[in-house]
Amino acid sequence: MVRSLALASLISIGGWAHATGAPQPPDDDAAALALPGVDSAAAPTHPSASLLVEGAFTEAAQRGAGNADAERLSLDVNDNSRLASTLSFIIGDRLDVDWAGAWNAAQEVNTLKQAFLSWQPQAGLLLDAGRINARQGVAYGYNPTDFFRADALRTVDSLDPNSLRDDRLGTVMLRGEQLWNGGAATALYAPRIPAKPSSAPLSPDFGTTNTEGRWLVSLTQRLTADFSPQWLLFGTDSGMPQAGIDMTALLGSSTVAYLEASIGRSPSLLSQALAQPALAQSLSSLSSLSSLLPPLPYPSSPYPALTPVPQNDSLHTRVSTGFTYSAPNKLSVTVEYEYDGAALGRGGWNALRNGSLEEYGVYRNFVNAQQELPTQQAVFVYASWNDLVIRHLDATAFVRVDLVDRSRLPWSELRYHWSHIDAALRWQDYVGGATTDYGAVPTGQTWQLVLDYYL
Amino acid sequence: MCKSLGRWLAVNAVIAGLAVAAAGLPPAHAADAAADAAVDAQRILAATDAIRNPNHSFGLTTTLIEYHNGHETDTSALQVYAKAEQGSGQYRNLIRFAAPARDVNKLMLKNGNDLWFYDPSSQASVRISPRQRLLGQAANGDVLTVNLSKDYHAELIGEEDAEDGDRVLRHCHHLGLTATSADVTYNRIEMWIDRDNNHPVKSKFYAESGQLLKTAYYRRYQRELEVERPTETVIIDGLDRQWVTIMRYSDYAWREVPESWLQRDYLPRFKPE
Repeated sequence: MVRSLALASLISIGGWAHATGAPQPPDDDAAALALPGVDSAAAPTHPSASLLVEGAFTEAAQRGAGNADAERLSLDVNDNSRLASTLSFIIGDRLDVDWAGAWNAAQEVNTLKQAFLSWQPQAGLLLDAGRINARQGVAYGYNPTDFFRADALRTVDSLDPNSLRDDRLGTVMLRGEQLWNGGAATALYAPRIPAKPSSAPLSPDFGTTNTEGRWLVSLTQRLTADFSPQWLLFGTDSGMPQAGIDMTALLGSSTVAYLEASIGRSPSLLSQALAQPALAQSLSSLSSLSSLLPPLPYPSSPYPALTPVPQNDSLHTRVSTGFTYSAPNKLSVTVEYEYDGAALGRGGWNALRNGSLEEYGVYRNFVNAQQELPTQQAVFVYASWNDLVIRHLDATAFVRVDLVDRSRLPWSELRYHWSHIDAALRWQDYVGGATTDYGAVPTGQTWQLVLDYYL
Repeated sequence: MCKSLGRWLAVNAVIAGLAVAAAGLPPAHAADAAADAAVDAQRILAATDAIRNPNHSFGLTTTLIEYHNGHETDTSALQVYAKAEQGSGQYRNLIRFAAPARDVNKLMLKNGNDLWFYDPSSQASVRISPRQRLLGQAANGDVLTVNLSKDYHAELIGEEDAEDGDRVLRHCHHLGLTATSADVTYNRIEMWIDRDNNHPVKSKFYAESGQLLKTAYYRRYQRELEVERPTETVIIDGLDRQWVTIMRYSDYAWREVPESWLQRDYLPRFKPE
């Protein structure tokens, strides 16, 4: 490294010699300086709202059953309106209309992502009430401290983790936050709402997101100039508290490392799944709404009330850690290791795969809804490359690998930007044996063409 | 990680560097020093830094137009909130995208090397590295980090005439800046500074390899926040001169930026004005 630095210094000095000693090339910047500047009269407005209209055409290979086509039209709106000097209203909503072939067979699903009032009586004090997407965590593919992710998905339009975070239901809650120089403390409470989960197209579905009382407190404090970890404590009416931590660190000028972890006593995911088989049915209906959601062909049990039954509590740790490296050529790569101590290990997973098909299906549906890992270890690699070959063309790809059964999910997207329109081509595949994490999905390769119009 | 993160950051980098750089320019009194036969290049640079770090936080709007082969290819606009850190004098920035539509309300926080990108649709705050902030061709930005005298060693290369952004010949100090910090984006910078008033005229920014990365011209001077400042910068890509970005600064205002805003936890709380 010393030699490299010395060489770099020599190059640097040599560069100056060139700059100072050699004749300056004639500037040829006249054309650039003659370009029209920005008309100050055309200063942009600053809308608080954003509106996206998205259309998608999907062709998916069904294992052993030919190809299936599906179409989708989506409307996504987000707004942050100031009602008074200290009062704002925030709303986020998405309407998906899915159909296959005939429009008259279309099914609508509305996802009320957020709708809440925010009051800021003092500069550093905020109080919120309503449906809030309270997202925590610094990892990319799996977020152990994103405690409100469970049961938040009504429909899945893309398996890109960013989309999964975009298009989810918030939770009805009261939230207070105090900010100070270099830190913040948050406390929130989400009450149980006595309503049943609903698959009605326009339902806010409070019965899914507020099945029991939940609370969260968090503290962020800057310890050094660029190190500000966050500590979290999460609890429910019925379970033991879970503690969590999020932290990031800069390694040099091009790499960010992160660690996200939670720990607490709880039943295993399998115990929880078998205690609430109802989820199998609710998610089976969900799967029909999107051709991209892993189909859930497993038989489901009757639909009893959701009554968590803690059993065999033990201490479980969940970890997601990795780094993002950015290369000078506009390529960024994230490598993430994921561990879920409450999920099944190799022995348990193999036993489940070779045992009761119903239990297998119930477990898969449950971990999908909870956005947990079905097995204990996974790797997630994500890469994005801006201006690939030509300007405004971006490439994104990721692969999820289940380290227990070696099945995997590769996904990729090419996206071109115009001023108000994006066009994207996506491809994904599920690779693995019949009852593996990803191989169990009856859909094989899937192509999708997406057009986005931003208003 | 976000779909448009790289592209967004690229434009943002332009703003974070150039907009702030344009907000404070060398004062007339520094010209006296410049007229001195024994010009101290580092002192000129330090005087410039002192003006770039006003006592009060401020805000402005930056509008960018990107051209390729003379044709407009992209436009964007950002609201910039800047606050100098007491002690170092370095600016911390909170930046909100106002255009294009796909990026409205996205935010970037720059507090030293603590850099965060926030997407309101996913409520996701993503920490980014200094290099990641500069992804994308439009990252002509950071062509002037705020406190250059702390990150660069300056030497006077000579006195020479140079055309400014309006193609007017100016008699200039020609400074050469060499990085003394490993954290800076550009290994070397050349600056041409008007001898009469210390207005920046032109800058060239180089990679460690000696490759010219970008050339910036400053023009349309007018009085903003009590000082004559350039309100437009023309940036020419060093690798492909057909890529040109024009940035216009407007809506200057002294604006209170509480310290509590300059952290990750505030990003989901930011409300556009």
